[in-house]
Amino acid sequence: MIRSVAETVTDRSGVPSRAGGGQLRLPTTRGWRIKEAPAAWLLIAPVIILFGISVVYPLIDTIRLSFFDIKGLAPAKWVGIGNYVTLFNDATFRNTLLTTLIFTLGTTVISVSLGWVLAMLCAFAPVHTTPFRGMMFVTFGISEAVSGYMWLNILRPDKAGLLNAVIGIFVPGYAHSWLGDPNTALWALIFVASWSGVGLPLMLCFAAVQSIPKTVLEAAYMDGAKPTSIMRHIMMPLSLPGVRVAIFINLLGALRAFDIIYVMTGGGPVRATETVGYFMYRESMTQFKLGYGAAATVVLLVAVLVISIPAIIQRTAGAK
Amino acid sequence: MIGRIHWWTVILVGVIATIWIIPVLGIVVTSLRPPSEVALGWWRLDTFSITFSAWIRVWDEYPLAQAFWFTGMLAALATLGTMLLAPVAAYAFHFLKFPFRRLLLILIINAFVLPQQVVVIPLFTLWRDLKLIDNIAAVLIPYIGLSFAWSIFLVKNFLEDFPKELIEAAKIDGCGPISTLRHVVLPNATSPIFAVGVLQFLWTWNALLLPMLYLRSMQPLPVLLTKVAGTYESNWDLRSVAAIVTTIVPLIVFVIFQRQFAAGSQTRTGAKE
Repeated sequence: MIRSVAETVTDRSGVPSRAGGGQLRLPTTRGWRIKEAPAAWLLIAPVIILFGISVVYPLIDTIRLSFFDIKGLAPAKWVGIGNYVTLFNDATFRNTLLTTLIFTLGTTVISVSLGWVLAMLCAFAPVHTTPFRGMMFVTFGISEAVSGYMWLNILRPDKAGLLNAVIGIFVPGYAHSWLGDPNTALWALIFVASWSGVGLPLMLCFAAVQSIPKTVLEAAYMDGAKPTSIMRHIMMPLSLPGVRVAIFINLLGALRAFDIIYVMTGGGPVRATETVGYFMYRESMTQFKLGYGAAATVVLLVAVLVISIPAIIQRTAGAK
Repeated sequence: MIGRIHWWTVILVGVIATIWIIPVLGIVVTSLRPPSEVALGWWRLDTFSITFSAWIRVWDEYPLAQAFWFTGMLAALATLGTMLLAPVAAYAFHFLKFPFRRLLLILIINAFVLPQQVVVIPLFTLWRDLKLIDNIAAVLIPYIGLSFAWSIFLVKNFLEDFPKELIEAAKIDGCGPISTLRHVVLPNATSPIFAVGVLQFLWTWNALLLPMLYLRSMQPLPVLLTKVAGTYESNWDLRSVAAIVTTIVPLIVFVIFQRQFAAGSQTRTGAKE
């Protein structure tokens, strides 16, 4: 397609024409230069307006609101860092921070390590495992809300839940309310989030393993290395750069999780599965404490920015 | 392939993958069997029959058909908006010179790290003051505005390999910046524009948080599903149909465009909001 345009462009007549003395006279480019900046502003104007409304304004306003005490429609009252002081003295919020940490790390560790191991296993038979990779990647195409619903079906508290039924084979009459018990609800949620998120690390890690030069693997194989030691000593270290990307993406995704918590537990039981991303929703949109919710959002924002520093540096340097 | 095929890895991966899709199988089976048969579990084969009763009744029980068209319309509008605006801006950022170009670019492409929770409170108060709650603009504006962080990045990355000679040739032929965009750049950038469209479609179809907060009378499928799923009724068959209807379109799109999605989600951070 690019070639056809090139042909039509060069086919046009009257472009660089030799006039008198064989000197090449190029058409002036001044017209282009003058029109360039206004044209650019015209082209990016809609983007700037929409980006301003949906990113820049919310960002500034969230920070501004976090210094106010706002309850419902009552006039806002300036409280300085009052919201933050309340936040860190609030036992619920401190527990939320811990929940966020466990959820974020748990989901990332499980989905990335599982995806990584599977990717390395698949690399021993890339063609024959293609349908299986597809099956696991498909779960990534199912939205978090629907994934959560599917797992509500599996985790039903009675014997009609598949998980209880499977355990029931060994422990007759077993019936555990996985999502109703504060001790298991968070781990059930972490497992489901990992189930739903494993497709991406699997694909990223598989690409990373596939990019290892074939000669390296063949040399190891010729030297009589076992599959396990090929995995341990060649695939793991050489696919590490790809895995780092997967880790970052999963950390970011888990920090901002909302849908899956909302569908499966609604933050309960007794707020045991509330992460900061859910806490801000609950405080601001169901309790109408907008300022308090905004302060929690700023805490989330700081966490996100801290883990994103390398990515931001990389993108900023690449922005030419 | 390394040496001979290691069948044990094929079998191991196969077993894990099979376990992996059991929950998907679960709601499909639940939606197709009469509730009386599956009271003790959808996998039990004491008696086995298939019924489409839930698939027929669900349309009367829940406003599923309306929500389906509404979701499609929202996703189509948001997708169209991003597909039109992002490539145009990416072109301006890549080929044109103007003041604050680099600053604006850095701001936009780094916004991909922001969680959508950041927009919740400010846009809620803004839409309330502007009386835009329950107007589709209340979700379309953030859908499109939030997409620029990754969509412009994706198209601009593609333009980095765009042959400079074509731009030069167009310039010499007397094309201004805008006709160069229309006649040279856009016709040759269909693949990233299409990839951006697929990603945006999946994201907006599956969106839950923003429509739940900013829309009232009409709500898209994921919001409807959470309302239906949150009730303590035992109509698992109807709810399973609702779940399948919610996810079927994006799932088909996803399966067809897997490749683009795997590449694109690296820039979209992989979060499936």
